[in-house]
This record gives sequence, C-alpha cells and structure tokens, in this order.
Amino acid sequence: MLTSKQASPRTYRIVGPRRQIDERETPHPRVDRGELGEKLRQWRTSRMDVDPFRRVFGGGGSEKNSYNSLYDIYRNLPEGKVNQKKIPVTDPEKMARNIKEVARFFGADVVGITYLDQAYVYSHRARGNPEAGEKAGDPINLPHRFAICLGFESDYEKFLTNNSRISDAEYGLGNINSLQPTFLLAAYIREMGYPARTHGYGRFEVNPIPFAVNAGLGELGRHGMLIHEEYGSRLHLSVVTTDLPMAVDQPVDIGVEDVCKYCMKCARTCPSHSIPFGGKEIHNGIEKYRINVDSCYKYRLAARGEWSNCVICVSSCCYNKPVAWWHTLAVQAIKWTPIPLRPLLIKPLLWIDDLFWGKRPWKHMKWLDYDNAPRPVGTCTIPGCTVKHANLQHKKLHAA
Amino acid sequence: MTYVIAEPCIDIKDGGCIDVCPMDCIHGTDADRMLYIDPEDCIDCGACVPACPAEAIFAEGELPVRWQRFTQINSDYFIGKR
Repeated sequence: MLTSKQASPRTYRIVGPRRQIDERETPHPRVDRGELGEKLRQWRTSRMDVDPFRRVFGGGGSEKNSYNSLYDIYRNLPEGKVNQKKIPVTDPEKMARNIKEVARFFGADVVGITYLDQAYVYSHRARGNPEAGEKAGDPINLPHRFAICLGFESDYEKFLTNNSRISDAEYGLGNINSLQPTFLLAAYIREMGYPARTHGYGRFEVNPIPFAVNAGLGELGRHGMLIHEEYGSRLHLSVVTTDLPMAVDQPVDIGVEDVCKYCMKCARTCPSHSIPFGGKEIHNGIEKYRINVDSCYKYRLAARGEWSNCVICVSSCCYNKPVAWWHTLAVQAIKWTPIPLRPLLIKPLLWIDDLFWGKRPWKHMKWLDYDNAPRPVGTCTIPGCTVKHANLQHKKLHAA
Repeated sequence: MTYVIAEPCIDIKDGGCIDVCPMDCIHGTDADRMLYIDPEDCIDCGACVPACPAEAIFAEGELPVRWQRFTQINSDYFIGKR
C-alpha cells in the first residue's frame, strides 16, 4: 500500500479498439485549413499578434520570418545519423538510470520511460520537415520500442497572471526550453548506436500525454492534461522514441482519479466551458474525461490580441502549487490513504484550497512593461450596441 | 455552427446571457426588441443556454423547426455593423 506504482493507469481505461489519429485532425492543422472559422485562420497567419516579444516564441504564421524563433529552427532540423558502432547494453535497468540522469543533466525536470504504444502514434503527418524529405500527408512509420518522456516545469507565479502577456511569455519560454534537452538526448542515443527520434514542440509524431501517464510522470486530469504530483499541469512535455534497451517505469497513483471526481475547479474556472462537470466518456476506445477542443481553441479569439495561450485550467488545478513541504505533505497523505477513504481527506483539502488560493487563482503582477490588472472594457465595436459587456478576463464565475 | 437566440427573447431581453458569454458576442440596442448572437464570434461553448430564463437560446442544429428563421435573423443583424 505504501507504493504508488500501478499495473495500469487509473485515470483512463482502454475499453475497445483504438485507431491511430491522423495529425491533420488535430486542432492546429484544422485551424490552418480554416475549419474552425476564418477569424481563427487569420489569427494563425498573422503570426498570432503584433508584439515583438511574443513573436520570438514562434507559433502560427511564423514561416514568413522563420529564423527569429528557435522553434522554427529546431522543427526544420534534420535528424543526425546513427553511429555504426553500437554500444552493447547488458543491464537495461542501469541504462534506464543512465538515460534519466543524462536527461536531467540536459535540463529536463522529470523523466520517465515506457513502451511505445502504436495507438498513440499519429497515422499521417500534418506538416513535413523538408530537410528530412517529408511532406504533409505522409504516413508515419515509427517502429521504435520505447518512449522516453521529458517534462519541463514552468514558473508558478507567472502562470498565475493568467491570461496575460506574462503567462504567455512563460508558456512560450517553456516550449522553447524543451527543445534543446530533447534534441541532445536523442543525439546522445544515436551516438550510442541506436535509432532515436525527437518529438517536441512544433514537431510531434506521437501524442505525449498517454506516454507520460504510462511512464509514471503523473496522471490524466479532468482537463485532459497530465497532472504531476509536484508541478501539477504546468509541465511542457516532449518525447524521444528509441530502440535503446531500457527498463520501463510503471504508471503511478497520486490520487488524481479521486481528486478530479470532486474538485472540478478547472471546469468551474474554464472561461469557454470546455471542461466537463460530468463523468467520463468513451472516445476512440478509451474511457476518460473529454474536453470540448473546439471551444477551448476558439476561446483564443477572446484575447482580442492581448495574449495567445489560455492557461486558466493549468493554474487553477489544485495540484498546481509552488514546490513546498505542505503541498508534498498533502499529496503524500492522499497517496497513503486507501482509495475508499480518500474522499474523507480530499473534501477538506479542497475546502482549504478554495480558502487560501481562491476559487479562481489569479495574481496581479507587473513585469517588464506588462501589467495584468483588469482593465475596463472598451466600447463595443457594434455601433449602437448598448449591452453592458464585462471585462472578458474577469467575468464572474458561472454557477456550477 | 453557432448558437441562436429565438422568439422567446422578444420583449424580454433579460440579458443574463451577456454576463456569462466568454466572448461578449451577444449584442443589442435599446431600440431592438431582442438580443442577437454574433455567429462569427460565438465559440459554441453553450454557456448562455442555462443562463436564459426564457429558454430562448439553442444550438443552430437543435433549433425547433418553427424558429428556423432566427438563424438568419441573428446573422443578418450584424450585416454592415462590424
């Protein structure tokens, strides 16, 4: 009972046949094709917005001026050759420890290893890397056995300024920070004589979240993201797939399954009402909480050019706390409690969470020239409209 | 797809939907008899549906047949106004 290791993850369950997802069905390519409306397509092609400080973090429409963002440079890099001299691996346990230590040295905050489940590999790519001779619509063939999941922490305080230029910059920096360690780790494995491929910001051939859950980095939350016991959801994920023989990790039980059942803080605070209050749904053979991806994506238009990534569910999650002894104590207490008794502990903890961090965690911050203080809403753009529009950032929470 | 305000809103204009709309896409002047949803701004979140005391708001695909014309009325309201 004192171990949190599990044979299979508790937060999602495979109940039927799963098909591989085509990367062209994922939100960004759909927006690029204009399937979510002309306004969003324009937003993507205008390189998200006009702020120079935002543009260095890359993103949609940046192809026009690629070399000012590290993101565009990394996603167009060819992969190196595999060293012909293969290093024999006698002890997979030792190799797994070695890889994890090296990944942490390169800059990853959390590392886990799992088998590569082909169901979470995309069937076709949405955007090819011309340097590697790929093009959009190519079928993806990824015959590797293992997936190494890397997690990169973002700053707690800056995410609390949601949504603003400040949380946006922190989010963008997290994406950029994940590129170099992922690249270095794959290069290291290739130099050991084993094939390896990076899947990071801007170039994914796999969905990283199920691998991170299987590798024991955390559990799947109600908001569809990974929840880590220390960092909550403010982790950027990247994956290195390889054939290097390694011992795999097991999924963990950190109480997310029980907390998400009662907490619903992300569902209450989601401004676009994309996170369900209800139970799990079966989609593509997997039973899990299912968010409304379209309204989540479209909510970016509410930014009116003020920010480009909404992180409200990430910062409101009750697992999202600064690294501190009282947070560790609370999570450990949930982990050590037998599952049937957990609600007795979780309910008072959630009450404390609402009491100290508020029902909608948010913080005023001034940084550089940015200030995320609520501003009175400007005049409505519809002439003659007399409706009293509220400040989009501080709409009162709707009743659950 | 968008959400549509239909006949029950006429002369009621409660405005509860305006407070919950995350996109501020529900508009109307004092001279209008009802409120209108801007189909270009609506993100289909459905937050306005439980907020309406008159039950006047429907998803475009779930609009009762007798109020089908309100899809056009809602979108026509914004012609030349944006």
